Amino acid sequence: MLTRRDFAKAAAGSLVVSLGTRAEGADVSREVDPSHLEAWLEIRADNSIVARTGRGETGTGMSAFYAQVVAEELSVRPEMVTLIMGDTDRTPDGGYSSGFLTGAANMRKVAAYAYRKLLELAAEHLDTQPVRLRAAEGVISGVNQRVTYGEIVRGRQLSLTIPLKGEPVRFAPAGKSGVTGLEWGGMDGLTVTGNPPVKPISEYKVVGKSFPMPGIPAKVTGATVWCCDLELPGMVHARMVRPASLGSTVVSVGAVDKARFPTAQVVRKGNLVAVVSPNEWEAVRAARDVAASTQWSRWSGLPGSDHLTQALRAHSWGQPAASKGDEGNVRNALAVAAHTISASYEQPFIKHAPIGPFVAVADVRANGTATVWSQIGHLQASRARLSRLLGVPPENVVVRWLDHAGQFGRKTFGGDGAEADAVILSQMLGRPVRVQWSMEEDFAWSSFSPCWFGDVKGGLDAAGRLTAVHCAFHSPHMFDARPLGAILAGASCGTVLPGGFLDTQWPYDKVEHRLQQVFAMDNIAWDSPYGGLRGNIMRTPGQRQQNFLLESLVNEAAAAAKADPIQFRLDHTTDPRLIGVIETVAKAANWEFRASPVKDARRNGNDPITGRGVSAIVRSNAYWVGLAEIAVTPSTGLIRVMKFIVGVECGKIINPRQLDRCIKGGIVMGVGEALKEEVTFDKAKVTSTDWSRYKILTMQETPEIQVVAISRDDQGFGTGGEAPNALPPPAIAAALFDATGVYPRRIPLTPEYVKGLLAASEII
Amino acid sequence: MPGDLVLNVNGGASRVSVAPDTPLLYVLRNELKLRGPRLGCGRAQCGACAVLVDGKEARSCILPVSAIVSKRVVTIEGLPDVWVRQKGIERGSGQILHPVQQAWIDEQVPQCGYCQSGMMIAAVDLLARNPDPSVDEIRDAFTNTPPSPHLCRCGTYLAIIDAVRLAARRMRG
Repeated sequence: MLTRRDFAKAAAGSLVVSLGTRAEGADVSREVDPSHLEAWLEIRADNSIVARTGRGETGTGMSAFYAQVVAEELSVRPEMVTLIMGDTDRTPDGGYSSGFLTGAANMRKVAAYAYRKLLELAAEHLDTQPVRLRAAEGVISGVNQRVTYGEIVRGRQLSLTIPLKGEPVRFAPAGKSGVTGLEWGGMDGLTVTGNPPVKPISEYKVVGKSFPMPGIPAKVTGATVWCCDLELPGMVHARMVRPASLGSTVVSVGAVDKARFPTAQVVRKGNLVAVVSPNEWEAVRAARDVAASTQWSRWSGLPGSDHLTQALRAHSWGQPAASKGDEGNVRNALAVAAHTISASYEQPFIKHAPIGPFVAVADVRANGTATVWSQIGHLQASRARLSRLLGVPPENVVVRWLDHAGQFGRKTFGGDGAEADAVILSQMLGRPVRVQWSMEEDFAWSSFSPCWFGDVKGGLDAAGRLTAVHCAFHSPHMFDARPLGAILAGASCGTVLPGGFLDTQWPYDKVEHRLQQVFAMDNIAWDSPYGGLRGNIMRTPGQRQQNFLLESLVNEAAAAAKADPIQFRLDHTTDPRLIGVIETVAKAANWEFRASPVKDARRNGNDPITGRGVSAIVRSNAYWVGLAEIAVTPSTGLIRVMKFIVGVECGKIINPRQLDRCIKGGIVMGVGEALKEEVTFDKAKVTSTDWSRYKILTMQETPEIQVVAISRDDQGFGTGGEAPNALPPPAIAAALFDATGVYPRRIPLTPEYVKGLLAASEII
Repeated sequence: MPGDLVLNVNGGASRVSVAPDTPLLYVLRNELKLRGPRLGCGRAQCGACAVLVDGKEARSCILPVSAIVSKRVVTIEGLPDVWVRQKGIERGSGQILHPVQQAWIDEQVPQCGYCQSGMMIAAVDLLARNPDPSVDEIRDAFTNTPPSPHLCRCGTYLAIIDAVRLAARRMRG
């Protein structure tokens, strides 16, 4: 199976990629017409197929899945499918890269429409009826008759109109929401409508098999053209000189020492300061030199991460931004409960923390056209933002997608990143510009998964059954994907979308009274020149954090009821799919049913003690349960996650192996979030700006991970890439309780925190 | 000031005209167009830029190019040749991969793949020192070998362990 990059290389013939530049000719098309089949699917005379989706590969194997979906409906081998992903001028539907289910639904219908058309044409060709024909491996055959797809399309266009609904991303009328926002409705991209006959899941031959991810061989040999590899004729390298604090503005910009850096040049727009040079290392050194002599105003408007909890508690939160449930009934039920639980949990800011910092290349021309190469997760939204930034119609802008380090959600809304920096600099310089952020810059200036705290209350009846639950989640903004370059330059580039969204799917329907509330606030230091700590979504956004509250409450309630945490969950749901996955995993784990904490739980000593914990989550037609087994050493507070067992039932599994990889990666990320990850900042700036201060999980700390995946043909498709990273934090917190009898109320469970927690509880 | 340096990269001599303090990473990527090693942290903290220098892993993001003159540098693009020479294999028309690269494909290791060039370099280094590493030895090597752990944000660590063991079996023959 060819990847898009193989395709690009074959076409361009070298690393200096000419695709999408004027080298292709002035009349190069800047968008495709999505109502025509060929925008989605081309069937070529050699039986090969080119399929196009507006979504990009996020590293979870989607490129394999899309090809499988197309291949299945057309009854060809997936190796015959070349996938083109993301590029705004070559793909039809837009939408979020994370939205595989909707993207795949489009591809499935388009392929089904195409298949029906091929059968019709084959029937004409063979002078028979479509119902008498069957397709396999790209060959349509009847009784003693056969014709290949390639023969059918040879010398003609497979013309077919694809019915659609939806609209492209566009800007809302100015002032619509106080800030210039992206029209929310257009973000989902286009949806293919109608109901062409699709292959029943029971007849699948391709979907459900473990096909390899297409891009892997090229990545392993070094052949992939990554976003950071792009080199255009006349391009300069830029390094940015960022403000001295999160709110500092320029007082004076330092000059380039031309004797030392003859090819370097300072470029400035407002508070956006860069040093460019045709030589990358000269740009790096000259930027350091200029940074040392650039003067910034003083600013110190952050609370400091050591005082974050107090700052959040001191905020006047007002009414909930979103609420689900009946407040009165919950209060009444809590008032008459035989036993009540009350707890508060919290988590500091964390980062998406890709291994590769942001990078982008922009080529803005004097005629008002622009081509931008990016690792963006929503290319049409990026195009809308960047056209706004340039003050040109979206038709003038092409955004192309190239591989980069996994972004884990921060580019979902087409923002954050280096694209705005690159576009502004390229427009000013009149030549292509490559902007490479540094690690320190990325940690300090990219968006954050915001901090939160939550207050929960639970009521149990005399029989130990949970009767009422109240979860109140408080968090700063989670939808500020504005790109830094535009903010610093004082340019318009959208958008802060309304904050505070409720995102839980309630798995425990036997809990009669429940109230879930989300309280929202602006970014911390929102009133500062650049809007402070920009909150953004991150893998399993919102639900990851809110589910921590819910699952921790359920674990604490099970302990209060002296019930086994798995049995307690089974006792509070009637959902057969949740019950099914929990029972399957409990059996696979040889789960010993007992209440937490463990009998010999202790809070002191130099010897490690083991504990286990449970969590569950229901998300996008997928049911998950996680079991953590940990060892904690009370005297040091060090937690070692020994094993994590994860079960999922997500309908029909498209590609078992890719799902398994994706789940394991999610668990690793979630274990790191549970144990280590925390952004620190003083009153002026972020201080966790390298890997020694922002710590993620290492190979040595990675637990054994056992995946129990259940595929069903009768429940459609569910999502697999998100949710697994939400499982470890509540399960590991519960395991710490199981081992010690002390329930942690904060993540990350760093040795210092755990040691202090156990020591403090011992005194009491 | 830039001067001409002759480098031995992937088995061939290359003349480059760069400032001697230029990190090897920038020379490999921008002068020699070898894009296997990538910029991660720029401070030898993550491993994305790792290359082999005289057969040992080195972080090219902090290594001045002047320090590797007269040394042998290998990037992932050069791993197939390393294997061909090591085993005295006749090069046919088909593509030959280093067993570590083949194992990375067979075990479907990369997700985003950004760190994996460095991971494969670390694997080749480890297997040269220890042809039959245990799981604990692999975990130790990828975590505790100076100057820093090899970091993967996609969480492919367990697949890497499987791939190193598969490559080790095949390399021992």
